[in-house]
Amino acid sequence: MVIEHMPERHSASVVLMFAGGSRLEDERLAGVSHFIEHLYFKGTERRPSSKEIADAIEGVGGFINASTDKELTAYWARVPSEHMDLGLDVLFDIVANSRLDPADVERERMVILEELRMYQDQPQDYVQNLFEELIWPDHPLGRDIAGTEESVSRLNREDILEYADAHYRLPNLVIGAAGSLDEERTVVEVRQSLSLRSGLNGTTPALSPAQLTSPRVLVRRRDTEQAHICLGARALSYMHPDRHALDLLNTVLGEGMSSRLFLNIRERLGLAYDVHSFTQKHRDTGYVGVYIGVDPKKAVDAVNAVMGELRSLRESEIAPEELARAKEFTKGRLRLELETTNGVAFWLTYQELLLGGIKTIDEELALVEAVTSADVKRVADDVLSAPLQMAVIGPFARDSAFRLAIGA
Amino acid sequence: MINAVADEAGDEEITPTEIAEAIRDCLELSEVDRAPNVRRYLGEALDAVSDGMPADFVAMTLYAALGALREGA
Repeated sequence: MVIEHMPERHSASVVLMFAGGSRLEDERLAGVSHFIEHLYFKGTERRPSSKEIADAIEGVGGFINASTDKELTAYWARVPSEHMDLGLDVLFDIVANSRLDPADVERERMVILEELRMYQDQPQDYVQNLFEELIWPDHPLGRDIAGTEESVSRLNREDILEYADAHYRLPNLVIGAAGSLDEERTVVEVRQSLSLRSGLNGTTPALSPAQLTSPRVLVRRRDTEQAHICLGARALSYMHPDRHALDLLNTVLGEGMSSRLFLNIRERLGLAYDVHSFTQKHRDTGYVGVYIGVDPKKAVDAVNAVMGELRSLRESEIAPEELARAKEFTKGRLRLELETTNGVAFWLTYQELLLGGIKTIDEELALVEAVTSADVKRVADDVLSAPLQMAVIGPFARDSAFRLAIGA
Repeated sequence: MINAVADEAGDEEITPTEIAEAIRDCLELSEVDRAPNVRRYLGEALDAVSDGMPADFVAMTLYAALGALREGA
């Protein structure tokens, strides 16, 4: 358990973060973590419906929600600080005492199937899923967190109970609390009220994805008004010592309206409305990617222009003032993220669960500050020399020019 | 012709039919087989024109054919 006392705040936030998300699911169980997350809000013995769960927290003006990721699942609540006990009570209730009613399982299955179909109708999101399939082929990291229509249709209540029993156990859990709260009382409340099992039983080890040996292009033909393109390469894990250099590379390349992609591809060349870059990091792998939303007639030109920007990062070091701006951007974003009790609780819990230790904000900012232009170029050389992968959704019957653009 | 295609003149100054005819003429030249991949890229460009792919897509494939020809020269 990690606690940050923030006496000047009026709220308190608590996060229950479990190690394990879609990465631990085999093909048959794909989507089970996300399914469980939905079901935990359907009712417990004491609060038999989703309305009663929501009412308990919203009745005091609070928020309750959850998210499933590839390596973790988080349940959280943010409440006025005097209602911290209530926040803990409701969260403990849903993760330990959910009814998992068979009728709810069937109803929620339909909801999740609709959710999966909804993403397929949102090409700017769906193209990222396709890109992740290319980055981590035949691996759970390359699958949609919510699973597939086949797996979600097949999952039964026994699968769900078995998986929840194996993974929702104390050794897999970190609890984070932040805000105006009484630390001792919070610890006592956790000790008395949380009734999860203590030993581990039958958890699956997370296998590392195989090496990528060649660049690949995947074109999904759709009669969209815009072409949606994601291209990028495998990159660094969140454990890697160069992860801050990668973050700065990403900031320089495509985060915000002063990034190279925005200024050159959108403002100077007028090739795309939305162009930005992003990273994703896991225990042993990650990626850096670029998204382009572009008129189909300009899609290949836009990809070529992005390739030019990627080459430029490898060819020369970024200027000191550009690096300084990226550092201020990164440090400022982290500070803003930690403005809320929820942000702090998540930040601490994430570090404890995935990194195995906690850095203070000053320690983290010092690591960002220590990155040099040479570090960024070294990371660019390393990461961007890997085989590029590209997913495209748009009115394209062929892929030859896209393959040529990335050397596939 | 490639520059005209790249300038997105495909539907005015040079039509898809003219582009396709020019590519077919190229495919009949013996030089095409002197370097690897030239015939392949020209074929892909011709297919792209037939499928109504955007001008920059066709141009990219034609530039690849030109590049392959130069490399083989």
